[in-house]
Amino acid sequence: MEHFKIENLSFSYPTSKDKKSLDNVSLRIEKGEYVVLCGKSGSGKTTLLRHLKTVLTPHGKRMGEIYFNGAALKDVDNRTQSAKIGYVMQNPDDQIVTDKVWHELAFGLESLGCDQKTMRSRVAEMACYFGIQDWFHRDVAVLSGGQKQILNLASIMAMQPEVLILDEPTSQLDPIAASDFLNTVRKINTELGTTVIITEHRLEDIFPYADRAIVMDSGRIIADDTPRNIGKLLYEQNNPMFTAMPTPVRVFYNADGDGDCPLTVREGRAWLNKEFEIKPQIAEIPCKNIDDDIEYPALSLKELWFRYEKDTPDILRGVSLEIPASSITAIVGGNGAGKSTTLKAICGICKPYRGKIKVFGKPVNKFKSGELFRNCISMLPQDPKSLFVKNKVIDDLAEMTKKKNKITEIAETCQITELLENHPYDLSGGEQQRAALAKVLLTEPKILLLDEPTKGMDSFFKETFASILQKLKEQGITILMVSHDVEFCAKYADRVSMFFDGQILTTETPQNFFGSNSFYTTAANRMSKHVFKNAVTAENVVELYRKNKGGTV
Amino acid sequence: MKQDSFSKLHPAVNLLFFIGAICFGVLLQHPVYLLAGIFASGVYYFFLNGRKGMKNILLMIPLFIFITLFNPIVNTRGVTVLFTYFDRPYTLEALIYGVAVAATFVLMLLWFGCYGKVLTGDKFTCLFGNLAPSLSLLLVMVFRMIPNLLQKAKQIVGARSSIGKGTAEKSSIKDKLGSGMTVIGVLTSWALEGSITTSDSMRSRGYGTSKRTSFTVYRMTNTDWILTFVMFILLGVVIFFAANGGMNAEFLPERNITPINGFNVIGFIAYLGYLMIPTILNVKEVIQWNISRSKI
Repeated sequence: MEHFKIENLSFSYPTSKDKKSLDNVSLRIEKGEYVVLCGKSGSGKTTLLRHLKTVLTPHGKRMGEIYFNGAALKDVDNRTQSAKIGYVMQNPDDQIVTDKVWHELAFGLESLGCDQKTMRSRVAEMACYFGIQDWFHRDVAVLSGGQKQILNLASIMAMQPEVLILDEPTSQLDPIAASDFLNTVRKINTELGTTVIITEHRLEDIFPYADRAIVMDSGRIIADDTPRNIGKLLYEQNNPMFTAMPTPVRVFYNADGDGDCPLTVREGRAWLNKEFEIKPQIAEIPCKNIDDDIEYPALSLKELWFRYEKDTPDILRGVSLEIPASSITAIVGGNGAGKSTTLKAICGICKPYRGKIKVFGKPVNKFKSGELFRNCISMLPQDPKSLFVKNKVIDDLAEMTKKKNKITEIAETCQITELLENHPYDLSGGEQQRAALAKVLLTEPKILLLDEPTKGMDSFFKETFASILQKLKEQGITILMVSHDVEFCAKYADRVSMFFDGQILTTETPQNFFGSNSFYTTAANRMSKHVFKNAVTAENVVELYRKNKGGTV
Repeated sequence: MKQDSFSKLHPAVNLLFFIGAICFGVLLQHPVYLLAGIFASGVYYFFLNGRKGMKNILLMIPLFIFITLFNPIVNTRGVTVLFTYFDRPYTLEALIYGVAVAATFVLMLLWFGCYGKVLTGDKFTCLFGNLAPSLSLLLVMVFRMIPNLLQKAKQIVGARSSIGKGTAEKSSIKDKLGSGMTVIGVLTSWALEGSITTSDSMRSRGYGTSKRTSFTVYRMTNTDWILTFVMFILLGVVIFFAANGGMNAEFLPERNITPINGFNVIGFIAYLGYLMIPTILNVKEVIQWNISRSKI
């Protein structure tokens, strides 16, 4: 029996005149299914998900019908919907209502008017299942983003829903927390049989386990098939969503592979093994070694030591780094290792108690107040929202400079010309990131610092963003970014530095760095390591594959 | 902070204690009783706050002196004139009364300081959650919002300073005000935007579909009942002696303070015993712990 049945659903927002956000969508979701919904930002994924719960349904013109367990959804009373349909949203912070973890877990049960005894056992059950016992009594404010999102999930699961709807739940999380979260979701689906409907950018963690993938574009469902088959459809349509597919899928189709499409790294390895039973002739991506002696570093850090409070441990424990001009350097490393703190130290938000920072050979404390940020250094913070202070993007940009043509030029570079009249908060995550970048670029920096620039961006936006960075680099801007996104760093950075234990351990080219790692590396490298050397991106693998096959055929 | 054993009791017991301590602290103006109050609240405050607490307690001394010396200026009643100024008398009785007023004030500050540490927001709302569910939820949400906004404010200031829009140390007050206003403006719209999500999240979890109940992690244990009983007995004794004039103290116009002797001592012991409950519990815990450890 189906859980949800959507029949010919069309919807348009009151503000958009004729543009339909949902266009004749028909869909059936069976009980216990794990369905992943993908599509570019603005393709109508969230709008569709919100229609599955009456209280969240947006206002606007609507046609069509939605059935839940065989009854029209609008006739199902609110109480039943609240308990049976769980909905997890994108922002981990704003979803939380109360100030204590235990109280948040009980919030839904309190609303339903459960008695003390039921609440006690349900809350205890959830705390155990989700591993919350250790932080059960804590204030919500001290939790990490990943913990907050697990708490949101747990507080919804406490109401024992039949369906779990998740709207980009991991877009604000770092990769490790994100994959923890997605594993928990999978566990709920397999162990409890809860139906899961999820939209997500990080398909690598979902695709192997999902029963069905649905692709949306401009409010329409353009593909609905098993994850194994969906790649083929997208590749043949030459759909931009193909770039979001997991690495093995992309390599497989771009290399014109035969047989079953691999979904996981393990399957990818098996496939390459079969293809290259004899060792390939060309098995290496040529890569140059890094130049250790930088004559005139744009930025140089020497033995930085820093701690937040007098009696807390040191966060930076002798950070040294030199960055050549007009290059993209990426700092990668674990969570809370001090990567962002390093950037803050360069900007003077944190003051290291030992060590030297030189910008173009001049120590930062020799710069007069404000001079450092005028035509010199600028930082794009982790949350681009913290840069917006006006009601329109254009006003925000105008705050930085009076030159009209400069604004137009930068808006062009960042591809936000059409968005200038919008409220910054109405933009999608990727658009906000670019608008914030535009604002930062208006200071005309020579050194650009980026803190987790690809967080919350879909793969499609990432490419646009990368092309902007490349362009800036060609203009002579030095870029230093801190990122969890190994795939992005492997593809676009010139130099990769590993941050660990409060220091920078090594600096290498991406090929050398990721090529020699076996755990902390890209999916493409993990998949191809046994046949190719230094192939760290999907493109590298495809290139070598084609070279070899082209040679032998 | 060290583990405070009194805080581990049921919030209702905590609240009862503070109501008793603060009410009697105000009502009983007898110097010996005031001294007992300052002593007990000071010790407990020091225990809760450690060295930082000591600093606060020392800061109370100038306050104490100020109130004491100031009282005779506004209050000229009293029979023993120490000296006159601008034709106004400065009397000994008013000065002594000033000591009592200052002591009451300091003692209240200390008790409220302890109260804030012990009865945290969640305990308070747990107590009143069943009486006024929506009001207590509102309070909880405010408790959640304050640290959230502070953290965001810090983030915005940091972000702005790293694009050269921060306030330098030497910038004018006008600049500083302007940038402060900007931050507040952003915070407001940020909070409004977040509140839409929060309300969605509340409604999606059934808020308003039926009468709310209130979940609590606290349970009345045997210790809680016993302590409640003890507290009521001690308070009863104090009230009995107070009603019989055992703790009377008049300062104006003439000093008339009932001496603490004979039978009245029982009332004083009961009062001190009551106020020392948190401290006694903590000391007991330390001793018990050391004994049980020495057995291991």
